[in-house]
This record gives sequence, C-alpha cells and structure tokens, in this order.
Amino acid sequence: MAASTSLLNIQGLEKAYGPVTALKNANFQVAAGEIHALLGANGAGKSTLVKILTGVISGDSGTISLHGKEITFSSPDNARQNGIAPVFQDPALIPDISIQRNLALTSTNEKRFISEISAMGLAVNLNEIAANIELPLLRMIDLARALSHDPELLILDEITAALPIDLSEKVIAIMNAQKQKGKSVVFISHRLAEIEEICDRATVLRDGINVDTFVASQGSEERIVSAMLGDKNRGNSAVTNKGNSNSNNETFLQVKAISGGKHLKDLSFEVKKGEVLGVAALEGQGQDLLFEILAGQSKAESGEIFVNDKKAVFSHPSDAIGLGISFVPGDRKSALMPQRSIRENLALTRFRGISKWGVINSKDEQSRVDDAVASLQIDTRASSQVKRLSGGNQQKVTIGRWVTTGFDLLLCFDPTRGIDVGTKQQIYELLRGFADQGKSVLLFTSELREIQLVCDRAIVIYEGKVQASLAIEKCTEENLLNAAHGILVEK
Amino acid sequence: MNLIQLRRQSWNLAIILLAAILGFWRVSQLPQFGAYEARTFVLGILPIALLSMGQAIIIIGGGINLAIGAEAVLINCLSAKYMQDTSFTKSLLLAIVFIFVGVLIGALTGWIISVSKIADIVVTLATSFLLVGVAMFVMPQPGGGINQTLADLISGKVPNFIPPLICLILPLLLIWIPLYRSKMGVAMYAIGSSKDAAFLSGVNVNMTRIKLYAFGGLFAGLSGLVLTGITLSSSPFANISNTATLNSVAGAVLGGVALSGGVGGLVGPALAALVLYFIPTILLAYGIDPSYSQIITGALTIVVVLLGGLLRKRTVSK
Repeated sequence: MAASTSLLNIQGLEKAYGPVTALKNANFQVAAGEIHALLGANGAGKSTLVKILTGVISGDSGTISLHGKEITFSSPDNARQNGIAPVFQDPALIPDISIQRNLALTSTNEKRFISEISAMGLAVNLNEIAANIELPLLRMIDLARALSHDPELLILDEITAALPIDLSEKVIAIMNAQKQKGKSVVFISHRLAEIEEICDRATVLRDGINVDTFVASQGSEERIVSAMLGDKNRGNSAVTNKGNSNSNNETFLQVKAISGGKHLKDLSFEVKKGEVLGVAALEGQGQDLLFEILAGQSKAESGEIFVNDKKAVFSHPSDAIGLGISFVPGDRKSALMPQRSIRENLALTRFRGISKWGVINSKDEQSRVDDAVASLQIDTRASSQVKRLSGGNQQKVTIGRWVTTGFDLLLCFDPTRGIDVGTKQQIYELLRGFADQGKSVLLFTSELREIQLVCDRAIVIYEGKVQASLAIEKCTEENLLNAAHGILVEK
Repeated sequence: MNLIQLRRQSWNLAIILLAAILGFWRVSQLPQFGAYEARTFVLGILPIALLSMGQAIIIIGGGINLAIGAEAVLINCLSAKYMQDTSFTKSLLLAIVFIFVGVLIGALTGWIISVSKIADIVVTLATSFLLVGVAMFVMPQPGGGINQTLADLISGKVPNFIPPLICLILPLLLIWIPLYRSKMGVAMYAIGSSKDAAFLSGVNVNMTRIKLYAFGGLFAGLSGLVLTGITLSSSPFANISNTATLNSVAGAVLGGVALSGGVGGLVGPALAALVLYFIPTILLAYGIDPSYSQIITGALTIVVVLLGGLLRKRTVSK
C-alpha cells in the first residue's frame, strides 16, 4: 500500500523488559480506511505493541508516525486525543463508580455515548455501577465510549472473545461502518474465521518481529498459523480428532432435571467415562451456573446429581473435588495466586491428599510438579510469579494443578479464551489425552469449531434445557449454531 | 431519586437510623435537652468527625493515612502556640496559614508515597512518628491559647450550638460536594477502585494521589484548628494522635467507606463519629465501666461492618 495513504506507520520498534525482549525491530503499517488484523502467539509482542501504541508504556527505540508525522504518546489520554482509541481485553471501566462518572473520567460526551449505544440497539442505565453490569454489555459500553471520541484508529483487543454471537455481529458491523467512514481499525482476535471474513490485511508477529503481512482472504488460515508458529511447528496445525468409540462405556456423571438461577430449567444429561463432552450455548443460557453447580460452588434449586450411580450432594467445592470433579474456571485470574510461583500454584490442590496437620513432602511435591510442567510444556522462564506468565501458560497452570492432583472429571469453562493457536493446540491434545486415559472432560466453549476438534459428543443448551445432543459427525458449526438458537437439528 | 441511587444510599440511611436511635437514647438519659446539651454533642464529635472525613477521602482513593491524627495534633500545637494572646485578625490569618500547612504536609506525604512506591501504611506510620515529634518540639508542655472571638466563632458562646454545627456542615458543602462532582472526584474513586483501569482511562494516578492526601491534610488541619478553638489549648501527646487516627479509620469504615477503596462518601463518616461518641457516653451514664464500653464499641463496629458487607454483597451479586 502506498505510503501516502498510510495512517499509522511503525518502524523498528523495540522494547525490552529487563532481559526479556518483547519487541525487536517491529514494523507495522495501517492504511486509512482499512481493517487490519494483528496476530501472533502469546508472547509474540502483540500486547506490547498495543500498549506502546496506546500510550500505556513507551518503546525503547523506533518511530511511530501518524499521518506521516512522527509522534510519541505520553499517556493513554494523550493517545486518545490523537485519535487512537483502544478497547482492551479487560474492560477499562472503573468497577465501583457509575457509567456516568466513568464517562466523565474520559471526558466523553454523554449524548454522543447514548447515541452510539442506542445505535447498537442496547440500553444502558447511566446511574448503574459498572461492577453490576455483565461483562458482554460492559465491553459494548467500552466500545461505545471509544466510538464517542470519533477515533481515527480504533484498536479492538480480543473484543469478540467474551461476546455472544449476536453482539459479535454488532461489533463486526461497527468495524465495517468505521471503514466506510474512512477510519481504520486494528483488530486482534484468535478466531481465524472472523479475521478472514472481515479484515482487509493481517500482520503476524512472532518473537517480537513482524514476520508476515498479507491480504486476508479465504484460505489464509494456514498461512496465518504457520507464520505464527514458525518452522518448527509447521504441519502441526490441523487437529485430527478421531473421537473415541466409547458408546459402551460406563456413565461417570448423571445430571437429572437440574434447575436454578434465571436460566436452568430441568436440565439433564450424562457424561461417560473416557469422553470429552462438549457444551455449546449462546451467552447467558445458564452454562456458567451449571458448571458452578457441578463444581460445588453454587447450589441447584432442584434436581439431582449422580456420580458413579451414587447420589451426590455438593455443599462446598471440596465435596466435588473429593468425588474427583475438578473445575477450571473461565476466569484464569480467579483460579490462580498471581504473586506465587508456578510450583505453589500447581501444588495448591495437592493438599487434599495430605492429612490436616500433615507436613508437606516437598520432594514428592517437586517431582509431581516437575512432571506436570513437562507434560504441559509450560514455559518456565518466569516461574517465580504466575502473573508474569502469558495467558496461555497461565491456563496451562490452572489445568496442570489438576494433573498433579488427579481427577476423574475435568470441568473446563472456555479454557482457550484469549489463547494463541499454538497453545490452543496443546490444550486440545491435553484434553484428548485425558479421555484416552479413561477420564472424562466436560468442555464449554464459545468457539464452536473447537467442539469438532476435541469432543466425542456435544450437547447444546438453549433456554435452560438440552436442545440437542449431537454425535461428533453432526457437530458442524452450522448445526451447533442452529441448535443454540433453538432451531431443531436432526440427530 | 431512583432505585439505584436509593440502594447506594442504604448505608447512609442505616447509619442515620442508628445515630438517631442512639441520640434519642442519650437524650432520654438527660434530665433536660436544650441548646446547651446539643452544643455538647456537636463539640464532642466535631474534631473526630472532620478527621474521619479526611481519612475517608484517602481510603476512597485506595490509600490510608496513619499520620492523620499526628497531623491534627501538630496543627493543634502550632495554632495554640502562635495564636495565644493575638488579635482576631492575626488569629484568623494564622488559622488560614496553619490549615495550608496541613494541606502541604498531606501533599508531601502523597508525593513521598507516589515517588517511593512504598505502601501507604508504611510511609504514613513513619510520618506519624515524625509529626508527633515535631509537635512535641513546638509545644513541649500542654498549653497555649487562641483569640477568644475566633474560639467563639468555632465552638460558639455557651449555649449557642450553631457555630460548631456550621463548622461540621460547611466542609461537607464547600469542600466535599464540589470535590465529588469534579473530575478530581471521579479520578479519586477511579484510582481507589482500580488503579490500572484508571490509568487506562487517562487518570494521572500519582497526581491524583498527591491531591487526595492534600485534601486529607486539609481536613486534618481543620480538625486540629477546631480542637484549639474548643479546648483553648494544645496537647502534644502521641497517644492522643494514635487514638484519633484509629478513631478516624473506625469512623470511615463505620460510615460506609470500604477499606479496599473506591466505595463510600463523607456524610457516612460524619454520622459515624456521632455513633462512636454516643455509645461510650450512654454506657457511662449507666455507670458501666469504660473498659466495657470499649468492648461494646468494638463489637458494634464489627457487627455494623459485617451487616454492611452482606448488604453490599447482595447488591453486587444481583
């Protein structure tokens, strides 16, 4: 693309955190009126690039030009004034104050905001405290706030990851509208199908260098993946899921007519030993409550749970853990002790095998932890504090702690959200490996194509009930989507 | 007022109710209730109410100031030393200067915390020793004075209770409400609620923290000055500063300010000071040992905070 139409031009950007180099000689150009995908595995330097671009941190060297003029951003506020508005992965709204006061904080025009949010077909009570608003709506509010500043360049970091399908479509429509107006969008997503569909070009980062920039179109998926993973992992990208022929296997968990919360009504299903059962649903169908009930964190209003044909009552997560049911929550942060080491995080759940006043056998602990780190391929460069790990490695730690403990059923709630393709691949293999060992996995995922990649069978929840129970051959994205919208699907 | 706002005010309503019940109880113990008794009430709570409000501002912003009592004691000593036997105009001018000294000490504390990145609790613990030391240097023994006209303007001529009441309400109207509505007010709740999100929203976190402590210092200065106006002297004692600091934290927490930051206001802490004042005086009137009244005050604080915590949890989970 010609330099004259270039809105943003980044040349030779470098950034190091102590001995760890996050960016080395990164180049990145965004033209006016284009939707540009920024891709890369975890730790490739994507978020560092975005942070520099939005004034959160400053680069060590290199230049950023906007409209051909060299510029540096001293703060997020400064970047916003220069027409760069980000919507971050974690909503940047202050939890304890009202939406109105959040808008005041960023000097956002209230009327403009209301017109943006109603253009999305959403309604917001400006007096409501941000913490009381559900995450998907909060992200839309964050987006509407960014749009209210009429940005030249909108940066959307993983915005669709936490959104239900209908809101994702709205975001895509907004991106296209920005493009029509001649404004640009930088779109960061791990959903490759989305990128092919809506982006004009894509830039892939690996190890802090831009490795490839190309026109995004149908079939570029392979190119993206190979650019992201590099040569060593090439050919490893496509998963082959044979599934297990386990129709004769015994049932491990039976859920009978569970009701609870606003959504769950008479929900029944069963999980067999040695299978990965997929759960698909639109946002807010009660799937989160279902997982909490099975993990012993919440109580069902009615219904029964049987484990190994014995009735089970969970009054505390430890009851579920005692019966071999382990929960990997969607929010990694809530499961980890961010300031502690990988070893301590992995060993936390091991205490269940140890008597109450018993001494921890540190040798045994160390060897089990080492096994887990090796089998999960956790990157241990930053092993002293889990918060310094990338998202994908953090997720591996949350799964890994159950590997060290042992379990019969693993409840995984959207485990690959916001994780790069390579790590996703490793998690798929891990889950399949559990099934091969005769263990069970219940997997909820918001990325429907994952179901065909890892599951043996899937159920679709709609309005609190099982709308469809599908064999793996029938788990096409189309079928799952239809069922998730309440449309009958042939079995 | 819509439902959301009402829900948010529930803590204030509860503390008003509690203060009213205790107030009636206390009044019923007295042979008579008039302006004189009202003045005693207001004077009893004024210094600590102002200190609680200052502490509340800092806690809302995610900090805590363990030196706030020492700041008040220092201003008390400074004002009592230099205002003794002065004209009204000179006393008034000095009052303004000393309140400004309070602001300066606060701002300096905030600056040290921002630059050093050391936890608030550590820095302010150190400055509390320092400030009490300076106070003892200023006034080695209790004593000093203030121009009587200024003292009457603060504490009212017996039995006029209006001036001290104005001293209590005016800071709320003239300092707190404009602050709450300003961008600085939003920024203060923002950094207390989530420092990272505040930064991403464009808040200058360090500058906001410095201003926060400066406002805390302003209220500490007012508190110290009011103390001089009421007692007509100064008391340079570390135990007074420590008790005042702890009471200011208790007042803020009892008044609905969350120690985690980002939640609460200043009206609650002002009312909480009333509650903290009534309990021991009511029990004392029954002839109950003051040690027991300490226990009861402590237990009540736990119960109120517990109930408030449950209430807040319920509204959030909805």
